[in-house]
Amino acid sequence: MDSLKRVLRTPLGVGALSMLGLVFLLAIFAPLLWGEAASETDTAHLLAPPSAEHWVGTDSLGRDLWLRTLVATRLTVLLALGATALGVLLGILLGSAPALLGRRIGRFVTAAVNILVAFPGLLLCLFFAVIFGVGEVGAVFAIGLAGAPTFARLCHTLVAGVQERDFVTASRIAGRSRAYVLFKHILPNIAEPLVVQATIGAGSCLLTFSGLSFLGLGVQSPAFDWGRLMNEGLNRIYLNPLAALAPGLLVITAGLAFNLTGEAIARAFNVETSGSWVTATAAARTAARKVPAAFSAANTVPREVLRVTDLQVGFPGSNPVRGVSFDLRPGEALGIVGESGAGKSLTGLAIAQLIEPPGQVDGEITFLGMPLRPDGGEDQRKLLGTSMALIFQDPMSSFNPARRIGEQLAEISRVHQGMNRRAAWERAVDRLRAVRISDPQRRAGQHPFEFSGGMRQRAMIGMGLMAAPKLLIADEPTTSLDVTVQQQVLDLIDSVREEEQVALILISHDLTLVAERCERILVMYAGRVVEDIPASALAVAQHPYTRLLLAAVPTLATDLDSPLAVIPGSQPDPSTQFSGCAFAPRCPLADDICRTREPLLRNAIPPIDDTRKKPGLGITLKTSRMRLELNLGGKPGSPVHTGQVACWHKGEPLPAPTLIDDDLPDETLAGVGR
Amino acid sequence: MSTLRFENITVRFGSVTAVNDVTLEVPNGAVVGLVGESGSGKTTLARAAVGLAPMQVGRVLLDGVPVSRHGPARQLQMVFQDPYSSLDPRMRIGDTIAEALPEVARAEREGQVNRLLELVHLNPARAKDYPARLSGGQRQRVAIARALAARPAVLVADEITSALDVSIQGSILNLVRTLQRELGLTMLFISHNLAVLRYVAQRVAVMKDGGIVEEGPTAQVLGTPRDPYTKELLAAIPGR
Amino acid sequence: MSALENAASGGDFLSAGARHWVRFALRRTGQLLVSLWVLITAAFAMIHLIPGDPVRSSLGLTASQELVETTRQNLGLNDPLPLQYWHFLQGLVTGDLGMSITSRLPVAEIVATRFAATAQLALSAFALSVVVAVPIGVAVAVRTRQGRGRVLDLGFAGTSVVLGSIPDFLIGVILVWIFSVSLHLLPVGGRTGLSSYILPVLSLAVGPAAILSRIVRVEMLSVLEADYVRTARAKRLSATRIHLGHALPNAVTASLTLGGLMLSGMVAATVLVETVFAWPGLGSTIVQAILVKDYPLVQGVVLVYGCGVLLVNTLVDVAMTILDPRSAVIR
Repeated sequence: MDSLKRVLRTPLGVGALSMLGLVFLLAIFAPLLWGEAASETDTAHLLAPPSAEHWVGTDSLGRDLWLRTLVATRLTVLLALGATALGVLLGILLGSAPALLGRRIGRFVTAAVNILVAFPGLLLCLFFAVIFGVGEVGAVFAIGLAGAPTFARLCHTLVAGVQERDFVTASRIAGRSRAYVLFKHILPNIAEPLVVQATIGAGSCLLTFSGLSFLGLGVQSPAFDWGRLMNEGLNRIYLNPLAALAPGLLVITAGLAFNLTGEAIARAFNVETSGSWVTATAAARTAARKVPAAFSAANTVPREVLRVTDLQVGFPGSNPVRGVSFDLRPGEALGIVGESGAGKSLTGLAIAQLIEPPGQVDGEITFLGMPLRPDGGEDQRKLLGTSMALIFQDPMSSFNPARRIGEQLAEISRVHQGMNRRAAWERAVDRLRAVRISDPQRRAGQHPFEFSGGMRQRAMIGMGLMAAPKLLIADEPTTSLDVTVQQQVLDLIDSVREEEQVALILISHDLTLVAERCERILVMYAGRVVEDIPASALAVAQHPYTRLLLAAVPTLATDLDSPLAVIPGSQPDPSTQFSGCAFAPRCPLADDICRTREPLLRNAIPPIDDTRKKPGLGITLKTSRMRLELNLGGKPGSPVHTGQVACWHKGEPLPAPTLIDDDLPDETLAGVGR
Repeated sequence: MSTLRFENITVRFGSVTAVNDVTLEVPNGAVVGLVGESGSGKTTLARAAVGLAPMQVGRVLLDGVPVSRHGPARQLQMVFQDPYSSLDPRMRIGDTIAEALPEVARAEREGQVNRLLELVHLNPARAKDYPARLSGGQRQRVAIARALAARPAVLVADEITSALDVSIQGSILNLVRTLQRELGLTMLFISHNLAVLRYVAQRVAVMKDGGIVEEGPTAQVLGTPRDPYTKELLAAIPGR
Repeated sequence: MSALENAASGGDFLSAGARHWVRFALRRTGQLLVSLWVLITAAFAMIHLIPGDPVRSSLGLTASQELVETTRQNLGLNDPLPLQYWHFLQGLVTGDLGMSITSRLPVAEIVATRFAATAQLALSAFALSVVVAVPIGVAVAVRTRQGRGRVLDLGFAGTSVVLGSIPDFLIGVILVWIFSVSLHLLPVGGRTGLSSYILPVLSLAVGPAAILSRIVRVEMLSVLEADYVRTARAKRLSATRIHLGHALPNAVTASLTLGGLMLSGMVAATVLVETVFAWPGLGSTIVQAILVKDYPLVQGVVLVYGCGVLLVNTLVDVAMTILDPRSAVIR
């Protein structure tokens, strides 16, 4: 009954259900109240037009048509429900046959259903009506059977969707029967869409039934439903239009009642999953605190490519980026690292001016001397279109599937550089060659699906090189690629940077990967930069989060005798408000100051001659140092942290890692939305 | 626990050969790592072991006895990559674990479920929760507990950390090592990440294009790789 | 995936694209043949599935036993089933659909004279609904994305649900009442010139147009969220170019499957609408034939309708493959 409440919470739900309730009340009570009056003949008023006595007029036997229309509700609704029940039952049987009977029989059933479903319901209906004969029972069977293929197909799609999921496989491996899996796992997970479809199906059965009766193929005299009454009324439409329109109106009402109820149920359950985003208030946004600019003008080259000051990104009810500042010199490679939900991707999108309402971007972004704003004009569009290139995580979906790769590259030159079709195409082919795609002439004419993942990512880079980019923003560009391909794509980015003096922002969850490719790293946590560190100084990272992150991931140098570091709990959700350090709940060093006052980015503490001599230093540092020595090709000597850290306990030794349970009682779901 | 042996396994889907004549042994009480890129056939091999992929040729042996080729075999249990898909959102996690238990008395069931939850370092009070209340790492622990509930001879773990956030991965790997040490678990551990395998596996097999190109003790395969493909894989690891 | 890999590994004499086409053509033709066989067999079986003697129920109880026998003989109903099936297939190949029991005219002739009227109706209604629904769906999607334009969203949802829920024959009745009975603007029925097309076409088009515009809107909304639209925005293309050049083709492709179902649904819906408007097409023919139990005629019309539907479905699949070559590989 919880679900009923949920449906009734929306105006649509209330309206639809009351309409449906009214129809059912009529179906139950109308024959009891007016059944006799509706069949009373009034010889004085044969075929009478509407009057005060007979609102809709009378038929050829002088019977009151309004009462007959009301009384007909029961038969109409009953027949429609009967046909629906038959169709739904058959549909579920056929649709779940593959899950129940195994692949071979299932494939046959599916193929048969697919053939039947290609024929419109009404046609199937007529076919069955011929076989079962004219009349109401025949029509119930005809409509039920005709509706079954559609429902079966739907059911099959839903079943297949659940069947693909691993919990079904797990249950099968655990030795459970197909029937058990169907009833315990599959059906409960598709119940809601089935109810929605059955409700809407009832609506269309009612309409189809009225149609059949209207044709004279359904209910036969002396019985009558709305369709029959319309059939009789149509002949006299010039004399008494209401005779046909009144039952028609009820058909529409009842059909709508079913359809809207289905719609309302569907919405009620969608709202649960995606609605909070839209409805939540924007109040939370204002609380975001400001963090001072990370860099003074002193250590920057005069003309930086990009300057970001106090960047904030907010959505109604959450603020995933809470004050990020940095700047970028020409040709510099900056890595942004963090777990999912840290705000690193949104930072990239905000810089690229790709956040759309209801998302809101605050702070200053200056790109090549031009302040960027969301409503920037033609100049800004041209600048970004030619000078800023983006690469996204999923090369499979980042190209338009319907258009040739070459066209998609050429579009940039045609729009922003005014090249003609031919010149732009030549440029596209040239750029594909530049990103080492073999046979670029032929490849340019192909569609994205004909490219492998690695090739698509190269083409994406090639697209960024169509004009003369000064900044490349790459958001997890290799995460979905195989390791050997990853290497090639990253090498390509490196060589592009070198050849064309392009600055790079590389966004990744992989600290090691970023350390290898970038000169500087911003470590983000809960929407803020917690450490800004030269890649060469990772071994002496001073923020506990950075250090734990390094120690949590095994590398080829990890000590095999001790457990990996564990960061208990999970990152706070972007909607949470907190005072103090966002990492405090998970931090082994946290104390009262951490929990109440927020640490700001400050210069890292001066380097100590030999970190290894510091007492109580855990395995974490040792591990990172080993990696670092690998990074530098085994070069000895202490790296120096010249960046900034936001921590009250920066550089303090961490306790040795233990096997910590991540089962914290108040743990909220990690920022992984699926 | 017992020895799992793949003998000359070939799996074809239509005209595509996913696994081509693979022979591999997972010795009793050992963790064998299987590494390879997507499409190399490593997941198909695992699915063939638990009866989810059709084997055209070959057999899967447990202590020398063939595992049924038709339908799933309880002695082999699997943990999947995506913890968001591997638990039924409509089932309490206690019931999910209980479902995999061999037929036991109802009274005993709760105790068993609690014991299993403790084994994977989860609070037994969690048994009443639905998966939506659990984080990715916790879900993966539940999935491991369910697999252990069936008292499997061998556990197959298919990329069980790659869908998790980096800060959580470590805890699952620690758990795998603890379980192996304490229960003497025999395990086939599939991953695309050699560093992860180095941490949990005693032996490593490298798979490419449906075949195994190199197999041996972990230290040896990673330290002195013989196959060019293994060398390429090692070279591709960032930070090396 | 196998098709993709084979194709990607380089064609010897066929380009990869051409291979997709060949594979697609083969598979689609196979599918069409199977469907056609099912249709023909179902039409043949129909007469034998009717309980009792179809000839007797067709001619009525008063007909003499001799007449029934001769009719059975003429229809070949006394032959063994396989032979009847063979004759039926032979007839189809030569264009002989048998004789109508009631009118004693060849079914093929009746169908031929009425086919055009129905096809015109269905095609014009389809064209009208597409022309109206696609722009509306696109415009509403662009204006209501990400929670914008709540009022427009609600208004559109309400109107389209209501219009989509009214069965076409009822729309027909309402239109007749407004334009013929009350305003005397348009003829109430018959096929008597251009003005007589307006109401039947409208009644066929309104419902599907409402549904199609909803579908286009939903598809467009989901396409606008796709990664490649983000790529297009990252290329700093104008909004028009993004919406019409990148989003629309994909949204239309996705809507096309349903558009096809809609068109074949329209073919069937002519049955009802023709009855409302006394339209001399196949629809009114089949209804009459069913009522008077003229089974050979029913059989013939079912075959023609079925073939029409199969043709539409095939055309839609071909169109889809041209618009989105990927679909030839995936499906």
